[in-house]
Order: sequence, then C-alpha cells, then structure tokens
Amino acid sequence: MSASPVETQKPAKITVKGLRKSFGANEVLKGIDVEIAEGEVVCVIGPSGSGKSTLLRCLNKLEEISAGHVVVDGFDVTDPKVDINEVRRHVGMVFQHFNLFPHMSVAENIMLAPVELKKATKVEARAQAMKLLDRVGLKEKADARPASLSGGQKQRVAIARALAMNPGIMLFDEATSALDPEMVGEVLQVIRDLATEGMTMVLVTHEMGFAKEIGDRVIFMDAGVVCESGRPDELFGNPQQERTKEFLSKVL
Amino acid sequence: MGMFLVFGGAGAAMAAPADNGVEGKTFVIGTDTTFAPFEFRENGELTGIDMDLVRAIAEAGGFKVEIRSLGFNAALQALTSNQVDGVIAGMSITDERKQVYDFSEPYFESGIQMAVAKNDDTIKGYEDLKGKTVVAKTGSEGEAYAKSIAGQYGFTVKSLDQSATMYESVKSGSAVAVFDDYPVLAYGVAQNNGLKTVTDKVPGGSYGFAVNKGKNTALLAAFNDGLAKLKADGDYQKILDKYLANPTAAQPTTFLDLLGKSFPALMSGLKNTLLVTIISFAVAMAIGLLAGFMKISHNIVLRGIATTFVNIFRGTPLLLWAFMFYFGLPQLTGQPINIWVAGVLTLSLNSGAYVAEIVRGGIQSVDPGQLEASRSLGLGYGKSMQKVVVPQAFKMMTPSLINQLIIMLKDSSLLLAIGFAELLYQGQQIYAANFRVTETLLIVGVIYFVAVMALTKLANYADRRFNK
Ligand SMILES: Nc1ncnc2c1ncn2[C@@H]1O[C@H](COP(=O)(O)OP(=O)(O)OP(=O)(O)O)[C@@H](O)[C@H]1O
Ligand SMILES: [Mg+2]
Repeated sequence: MSASPVETQKPAKITVKGLRKSFGANEVLKGIDVEIAEGEVVCVIGPSGSGKSTLLRCLNKLEEISAGHVVVDGFDVTDPKVDINEVRRHVGMVFQHFNLFPHMSVAENIMLAPVELKKATKVEARAQAMKLLDRVGLKEKADARPASLSGGQKQRVAIARALAMNPGIMLFDEATSALDPEMVGEVLQVIRDLATEGMTMVLVTHEMGFAKEIGDRVIFMDAGVVCESGRPDELFGNPQQERTKEFLSKVL
Repeated sequence: MGMFLVFGGAGAAMAAPADNGVEGKTFVIGTDTTFAPFEFRENGELTGIDMDLVRAIAEAGGFKVEIRSLGFNAALQALTSNQVDGVIAGMSITDERKQVYDFSEPYFESGIQMAVAKNDDTIKGYEDLKGKTVVAKTGSEGEAYAKSIAGQYGFTVKSLDQSATMYESVKSGSAVAVFDDYPVLAYGVAQNNGLKTVTDKVPGGSYGFAVNKGKNTALLAAFNDGLAKLKADGDYQKILDKYLANPTAAQPTTFLDLLGKSFPALMSGLKNTLLVTIISFAVAMAIGLLAGFMKISHNIVLRGIATTFVNIFRGTPLLLWAFMFYFGLPQLTGQPINIWVAGVLTLSLNSGAYVAEIVRGGIQSVDPGQLEASRSLGLGYGKSMQKVVVPQAFKMMTPSLINQLIIMLKDSSLLLAIGFAELLYQGQQIYAANFRVTETLLIVGVIYFVAVMALTKLANYADRRFNK
C-alpha cells in the first residue's frame, strides 16, 4: 500500500498491522494493514460479509483480536496489560441500530459515561449533554425517552453520547443504514460537521456519494483483506482492481 | 384398677424425688397433629389425654415440656434425629419400635375397632368386606390388624395419614370402613363424625411414651415415676374419664361459629405462611441472582456449578428437601435444626433455581448491542451490567418473578409435612378435631385465594411504580 500524502503529514492516530480475526475456523480478517492519521476521515466500503464491521470492532476491541497489532491513540489494544476501558474512552462508536439505553432519558444516555467514570459531576455532565444535544440539534429532546424519537433523532443522540467522553476518534458502523431515506441527511450533516472540526473518523458506509464527498481516503475491503485503498476520486473514478470495479458497478 | 387404689395410700405419701435429673429443665415433646382424644386442639390450645398426662407428669416431676405438634410419622422422625426429646402420640409399644426407642411403662391399654358410615347398613362385620377397600392410619396398629385379616376376608387396605381424612374417605364412599384405635373412634363418633362402630374391640397394644434409644433416660424415669404417682392418687383415672367416660357431645355448630372459632388459628397460620414466603423469596432472589449471573459467566467452572444447582433443585420435589433439611440434615450433623431454617432453606433453594433461570433468561433477552454500547463508552463489565443490562432485564423479569412469588406462597403449604404451622396445617388441625373437613378447607382455600390476589395486586403495583 502506497502512503498517500495525507498519511505522512500528521502522526498516525490508528495503526493496524497484520490484523487477523477468526470466528472459530472461519477467518474473517486475513491480515489487515492500515494506518490512519490524525484528523483523517477514512471510509470503508465493500460487499456484505467482507469484514468491515469486524475490522471496526477490532479497533476498540469489541472483538478479541486473533493476531497482529492494533495501536489506537498510542495504546496497543492487543497488549493484555492495556486497560481497554481507558482506550475506549478515546474512541467513540456509533452503531447501525443506535443502541440507545431505553430506560434512560436522552440526557441520561449522554451523561452515563462521564458520571459513572467520575469525569464530571451530574450538573457538569448535564450541562455538557445539553451542549452536545445543541450540536446535533436536539436540545429540546433532553428529557424525552429514546422510544419517542425518530430514527434520525436517535442516531444523532447516539452520536452525542459517543462524543460525551471527548474522544479523539469516532467509529461509525453503517450509521445511516437503518434510517428512512428522509432522515439520512440530518445524520450525515452531523458527521460532516465532525469532519470539518477535524475529528479522526472511520466510517463503514454504503453511502458511496457521502464517502466520496467526506472521505480523505476510501478503503475497499473484500473477503477479509484490504483490496484497494486510495483517495475517493481515484478509487471511485479509476479503480485498479477487478473486484473493486465489479463492486462499484453494482452499487453506483 | 383395684391395684392402683390399694397403692393409693402409699402413693400419696410419696414425695417428689430429689434431684431426679430433670428438675427445672425443659424437654421438647413431639406429638401427633391431631389424634383425638389423645391430642387435639380446642380453641387453639393443644389438649387431650396425652397432653394432660404429660403436663401433669411434668408438673409432678418439676420439669417443663414444650409440645411440638408434628404429626405421627414426623414426630417419630424428629425423635430419631433428636429434634425432640420424647414422643407421646397414642403410640403403641411394639417390638419393632423397641429396637429404636425406649418406652415408658404403658399408660393406656388400647384396642382396634372398625367403623363404617352412619347410614351404611350393608357392612356389619368383617365378612361383608369382601372385595372392598378399607382405610387405616399409616404405621398404626389398626393398619397392622387390618392387613393381618385382609387376606382372610378378601379386602384391600389403603393407608392414610390422619384420622379426619380416613373418616372423610369412609363418608365419601371411597372406602367402606376404617380401622382405628377404639378411643379415637369413640371420641369421633361422639363428635358426630358421621360414623358408627360395628365390631367389638380387638384388644390391642398398650400406648407408651418414647425416647430415643439410650437417650434421655432421666426423662423416661421421670415419666414412669410421675405416671405411677398419678395412677396412685387417682388423677390418672380422672384424665381418662374426662375424655372417654363421657365424651362431650358435640353441639352442631353453624358455619359462622366454625369460622369464628377457627379464625384466630387460621390467621396465625396465614401470618407464618406470609412470613416464610417473604423471607424465602428474599433469599431466593439472592441465590437466583448469583446463580443466574454464574450461568451466563464465561467461567466454565462457575457455569457448571450454577447449572448443577439449578438442575438438582428443579429436578427434585420440594417435599423431599423439606424432609431432607428437617430430618436428614440433623442426623448428618448431629445438630437440631430450627423449623424456620429448614422451611426457608427448602423454599428458597427450590425457588432460587427457578429465579436463576428467570435471571439468566432476562439478561439474555436484553439486546447484546446494549452491553456493547455501554462497553464502547469505556464502562467496565460490572458497571455496564449494573447500569444498563440489569435494569432492562429486571423489567422483563418482573412478571416471571411475581409468578414465582405466588408459586412459592402456595408451595409453602407443603411445609405442613414437617409440622410447620402454616395456613393449611392450621386448617388440618382444626378439621382433625371437629371433623368438618369440607367447610374448613373451603375457608382455608378462600384465605389462600385472597392472600394470592392481594400479593399479586401489590406486586403489580410495585412493578408499575418502579418499572415505568
Ligand atoms: N460474532 C460472530 N461470530 C461468528 N461469525 C461472525 C461474527 N461476527 C461476524 N461474523 C462473520 O464474519 C464475517 C464478516 O462479518 P462482518 O459483520 O464483519 O461483515 P461486514 O463486512 O460488516 O458485512 P455487512 O456489510 O453485512 O455488515 C461474516 O461472514 C460473518 O458471518
Ligand atoms: Mg457490518
């Protein structure tokens, strides 16, 4: 993989070396090498089952790593001595199905981590939650229950929640796939704002247009390996690999 | 009797023996639940020949007795396991029993009689029993006698545990006759139990007071001394006459009378039922939460332990554990066990196994994405469980837990088998003395129903309140 200009400008925020992951006998990641610089926005695309989600989940160790190294924000997450909870506070994650806590109000969802991890008092956490909600345009929903929100609103709350610990990295796993089309835009806008602010982000997405627009780099994964990677205009405009061409012809 | 009268003068001169080894002590005496006229309840108080006798003897010997009304078999098991010091329960002295217990001098000469339903004119003697079924009390002389002639006369013997239920079987026609001790039958007939005696008394064995073999010799000696003294001064005969010579003719009472008379005893039974249920449920919740979490643990040893626990207690009857804890455990440890401890252990371990499954199911029913979301925020496993998973699981578990609580309330009635004075047990005590089985059971049933309804309402209210 040739180093792109963006990667060399800034220090690496995420380094993945020789990452392998198996579920039983099924090897899902077959040696992944990726380096992501600070402030870089990387979109991961690829066919279903190619291992995109698994790669993302290895970055904050939601999946045990079978082999290789993953260094995130200076922490080697493959080192058993590393406090994974500490690492995860530096990495926000947004899920396809939001996974909001239904028994808490919107504000409580956001306050949970700062309060429980003793990073803020309840009052401070509440104030911060209001700021985050303001950022995603949902200030008036602070005391609502997640069940009363639309899909797009839920996902914006989920993003606010992921931002509550002031992470340096955000991971998105198909954040808009479960949304009705008319709600996709509002969520993408929030992500776009984060990109503008310089957040380091890894997005697994099926929204090719969005990947093209927002990505500093696009990674095409297939069958557990990084098949091709490059600037969006290059990868979408002039794919080098047969499999990339085939995939893009199907989805574009 | 003449013999005793001759003795009379000497007996009166006898002073209470000094330092008889029992003075000032308290002995726990086991007895049958109800074996009128030897032991039964009148207005909630245990009374009867055995009771009057043992109390008079205790007074004469300067010691105290604490009576435990356990049921005949349970009293003997309690004696074997040293849960009680002695048993007086209209028990015949047999060679078999002499192998395991030491008996006092006989205090009553009994005999067996057969009774049939009052309106039954077909059964007049043993010859009429051919092809029929009779009932007798489990382990009693009446049973032994009935079995000894069953082949000769061609009838079947069915064994039951209590006089009142035996009489009910005869009245309801599921058996044609009952073999029972004559004083018991005589007393029952006098109480309008709906039966009549049709055969002559077969001289039977003698009743004795029993202690465990080789144990409590001082108590046994004191019993014999006291008995001799009571016989000598005529008090013994007075006690017998009080119950046998002229049984109090039962005044037919109304349902309201029955309700009024039995209500205090039933309420104390209800109190024990509720108390043992609530304590056991709290313990079952603790056990169930622990075992439930162990079942979903990644540690194979913890999981194995929890699974074994659940399988054992779900796979065996509750009653077995009641007997095991109350009769079995003391024989293993040599330590008597409090009946509340045995009751709570039985109910809570059994229920704990079910609660464990409810907890496991509840936790596994929470979307795994919830735990992932919490973990991805940097919260540890314990915190995530506590703040995110368990509150949601608990909401889902609540209906099942309420259900389990109600099952436990009803199951607690099984503890009557070890003599725990809960609601149904109190009901048994009442109908065993007054033979009004159906009405008493009806009252007990209504009380259970009301208690279950009230508990359900309360639990549902709490559910709405805290699990909004
Ligand atoms: N927990 C698991 N246990 C076993 N196999 C798994 C598990 N999670 C994922 N897999 C398998 O790993 C492979 C890659 O899954 P992954 O979810 O990473 O794919 P993906 O690229 O995200 O697909 P999609 O676009 O459908 O989300 C699939 O074959 C999947 O069945
Ligand atoms: Mg996926």
